[in-house]
Amino acid sequence: MNKTLLGYVPDESPIYAVHPFVKLFFLLIVSLFPMFVTAPDWNIGLMVVIIIFMWISRVNMSTLKIYIPVAISMGTIIFLSYTVMGGTHPEFELLARVAGVNFYWERIRDALVVYFRVLPMIFTMVFFLSTSRERDVIVAMRSIKVPFVVTYVFAMSLRSAGMVLEDFHIVRQAEQARGFDPAGKSLPYKIRQYVMYMIPLFALSLRRSEEFTNALVARGYAFTGEISKVKRADYILTHYSYKYFDYIFIAIIGLAFVALLVFRYGFGYFQVDQSWLIGLLREAVS
Amino acid sequence: MTEGMKSEITGKEIWTVEEGEKRSIGVIHIVLTALLIGIGFVVGAFGSISFPLGFGVNFFWTGIVVQQVGAIWFGAWGVIAGAIFPFFSNAIAGTPFYVSIAYLPANALQAFLPAWVFRKFKLDPRLKSGKDYLYLFLAMIVSSILGAMWSVLVVLRGFDLLTTDSVPLFIWGWFGGNVVAGVVFNFIMLKVLSPVVIKTTAFVKKWWA
Repeated sequence: MNKTLLGYVPDESPIYAVHPFVKLFFLLIVSLFPMFVTAPDWNIGLMVVIIIFMWISRVNMSTLKIYIPVAISMGTIIFLSYTVMGGTHPEFELLARVAGVNFYWERIRDALVVYFRVLPMIFTMVFFLSTSRERDVIVAMRSIKVPFVVTYVFAMSLRSAGMVLEDFHIVRQAEQARGFDPAGKSLPYKIRQYVMYMIPLFALSLRRSEEFTNALVARGYAFTGEISKVKRADYILTHYSYKYFDYIFIAIIGLAFVALLVFRYGFGYFQVDQSWLIGLLREAVS
Repeated sequence: MTEGMKSEITGKEIWTVEEGEKRSIGVIHIVLTALLIGIGFVVGAFGSISFPLGFGVNFFWTGIVVQQVGAIWFGAWGVIAGAIFPFFSNAIAGTPFYVSIAYLPANALQAFLPAWVFRKFKLDPRLKSGKDYLYLFLAMIVSSILGAMWSVLVVLRGFDLLTTDSVPLFIWGWFGGNVVAGVVFNFIMLKVLSPVVIKTTAFVKKWWA
């Protein structure tokens, strides 16, 4: 199994046949798609495609459970934002009035449109995080010639996030061993406890920064001055090369985006009034 | 005697580069930026997942402590880290990629303002006087107001994610989530750790070194 940024993917996953840059390109371009598409049908279609990609990549779908509360809370907030806090609009069609709150058709429709525009963006991000390892991100950045120092900081940040999590568990265990137990306690208690985590976490990181620095200096690393101008060998990139299908994927993603823009602005496609799903809902509530 | 003198160092002296004192950008600053991004990633994601309002806006955003305290101690390095780490923590917590990127100016500003106030008015990061507390509090308030305005009025409205009527809730959510968490953590962190941090080589007196 390979540890990705979000979970684990088997070594044999076909996703590793693809160059890491293709995954980054997918994230950067496909995340833009929902911004130009208002019809929920197409955005749901995009989500289905991403789920199929996850399935093909053999992503462990159980790791995605953490996003269920996010999806529910986001949906609830969008719905409340568009209905309960949506204000009074005589120009809209009133469907129902419950406890003084007006539920307008246009507001419910807009809430659905927004929700189904946000979800595919999240799916795209989750797909990237669940199929990319730290090394993939570094390779993708180096392959598009991102400066060494930026890539290095990025890589070190990802590593340090893992270390901070580890430190967090150690600090928590140390405090539990001293009788700190958050179970069943009030929110202020938990917040106070959180302060007690933060101080050692910061202190540990400060100490670690000196250890890191000494290790880097001892290995001859420098980010400024003459030494930093020496061209570095990209050993990691020698393990990755573009294959013919990488170019095909890049072309497909790029062309799909161009086609989307042409159909959207040239022919007026992907509009909410063309949505089959919204039409169905309209009939159901009228 | 030397120890006694060091303990009496004033806020103004903390930020003043002594004659003959050489300060330059070092590997430690790059390392610190990375570590701050790492801490912020974890701490910020905790707030984003535990108290979400939506689209990366939270009722209690613990990442603010890394953003503001980090920038006070480490100047531009802290500002850079404070601007970048929310991108990671938001991404993990389910905020769309381009929405996270668009928050960057708000996060940079929230990190920059307290750091600028401390340097401009030569305040003591160990919080020795009422003025230090007051200016920090005001900087937190103003930076959170500006951050909330940008994030909600420019980003969320720009992406057409909110109705006009729900804008106040999100502005209050962003502002309150930052200020409450800031009040809980910033003062304690500065009070407890500043005496140690200002003595380290990593401490930044100007902006870069």
